[in-house]
Amino acid sequence: MVLRDWGTMIHKEILESFGHRRFLTVFALAALLTGVLPVLSLAHAHAHALGGNLTLFRAIYVLLAAVIVVAQTAPDLVLHERVGHTLDYVLTTRLPDGAIFGAKLVVAAASGYAAALLALAVQLVLTALVGHSGWSWLFLALPMGRVAVFGITAGLSVYLAVVGTFVALRIGEQRTAYMATMLSVGVIIAPFALGWLTLTLTTSWISQAAVVFGAVAVVLAFVGLSLLRRERVVLYLQE
Amino acid sequence: MDELVVECHGLSRSFGNHQALAGLDLSVPRGSVFGFLGPNGAGKTTTVRLLVGLLAPSAGSVAVLGMDPVGEGGRVRARCGVMLDQVGVYDRLTAQQNLEFAARVARLAPRTARERVDALLHRVDLWDRRHDNVSGFSKGMRQKLGLARALMSEPDLLILDEPTAGLDPANIVMVRDLLVSLAEESLSVFLCTHLLAEAQRICDTVGILQAGRLLAVGAPGHIGQQGLPAARLALSGADGRAVRLPSGAALSPLSGGEWRVTMDHGDDIEAVVAALVQAGIGVRAVIPEAVSLEETYLKLVGGDGPA
Repeated sequence: MVLRDWGTMIHKEILESFGHRRFLTVFALAALLTGVLPVLSLAHAHAHALGGNLTLFRAIYVLLAAVIVVAQTAPDLVLHERVGHTLDYVLTTRLPDGAIFGAKLVVAAASGYAAALLALAVQLVLTALVGHSGWSWLFLALPMGRVAVFGITAGLSVYLAVVGTFVALRIGEQRTAYMATMLSVGVIIAPFALGWLTLTLTTSWISQAAVVFGAVAVVLAFVGLSLLRRERVVLYLQE
Repeated sequence: MDELVVECHGLSRSFGNHQALAGLDLSVPRGSVFGFLGPNGAGKTTTVRLLVGLLAPSAGSVAVLGMDPVGEGGRVRARCGVMLDQVGVYDRLTAQQNLEFAARVARLAPRTARERVDALLHRVDLWDRRHDNVSGFSKGMRQKLGLARALMSEPDLLILDEPTAGLDPANIVMVRDLLVSLAEESLSVFLCTHLLAEAQRICDTVGILQAGRLLAVGAPGHIGQQGLPAARLALSGADGRAVRLPSGAALSPLSGGEWRVTMDHGDDIEAVVAALVQAGIGVRAVIPEAVSLEETYLKLVGGDGPA
């Protein structure tokens, strides 16, 4: 029964998101731009031999697609319900708290992940066509690329979905909520920028980082869902 | 009619230093239409939120359909249909999709859901617009859709917060007729409304709330009539004010030899007439004056119109 409630809410969120032009535009633009831009830069890559960093270079674009889409979608799923007072309605139904807010996290994170995979597909196809070197350019062939794309993107999408949902519940203003969610990526980058952690471009290091980050994101999602209780949200909405 | 759908004892809720609801005692029998009246900030919405378990009481107790909304919130909400003052329909979905979502929330079987969605679209006169996005709907159409959504689960208790707010007269009549037909089906309704005339027409019982306190509760025709006009009297002879009248009764002169009698006990007009006749004053006519709910409301709330 609980799964059915989650299904009800997820179905509604998908129906609303994909019926909304803004969501579709952001999704398509993010996937296309992050798919096309690194391949256009590839012409330079031939000349300047980015070498081993090429995989990371492309993976960053894939991650960027997830960041852009989740940072828009997660706050939007909450904000348009706040503005339209549908959140007030849904809180008066028999749906459990977990389903109401969990569905938003799932749909926001899945949207970002889907956009990242689409960006990856665009990169692969364009690389094969533009590079004139067949499918050997598929950076997925490198284990580091696989881990970065599939593992870290998933963790990043979940992390941003949790942050975006919370931010939108506390900040009712759309633009501020988008910016705050986007800037939360800085929390992940900060330890590297401050020299507390060192980025090492090895498959082993990237794999471990993906596992740790994924675990942190999942724990964050569970903690977030346990905090998102009706009584608390009603008081947020009343403020 | 014996079973209570809502029962509150000393129900209170405060937010910081602000006391939104103070010691509410209320009983709503099954099958009745209860009207909850009061100006903005009186505590009506807080009461609705307490009834459906969205807020916990600061003090006192509340039972809805015999259950505790805080401890059994899911079960209470499953058996209540709620329409808030901000109706909150999904703009990006069509009218039909809105109701289909409500049907899924109510865990209806697919076939039952289809039948009920169709029936409710017909009932609120939105069948022809069922495939239109709600973003293009007028306020009245949204209210009707919200009402249909609240009825989707065939609730035991319908809680409506200002269902006619902002509607044009034709839609007010439509909503009122719908509420009357629901009342005839013995559905229990808890109705917060601004429209006193509608409350007088629809409700079996009304309660008047101000600043978190229940000022009066009773049938719309009899609630809080102490000190309100009971009748006009056509007198002949001396000044009626010199006569010793029953306790709580008072006379004030009108034009043309007529007097208005106000009373604390509406049934004692005969005693007033007897006292006047005994004092040698002729009573040529007694014209009962009906007291509207609006007059009662304004007297109790102190001149603030319903917000």
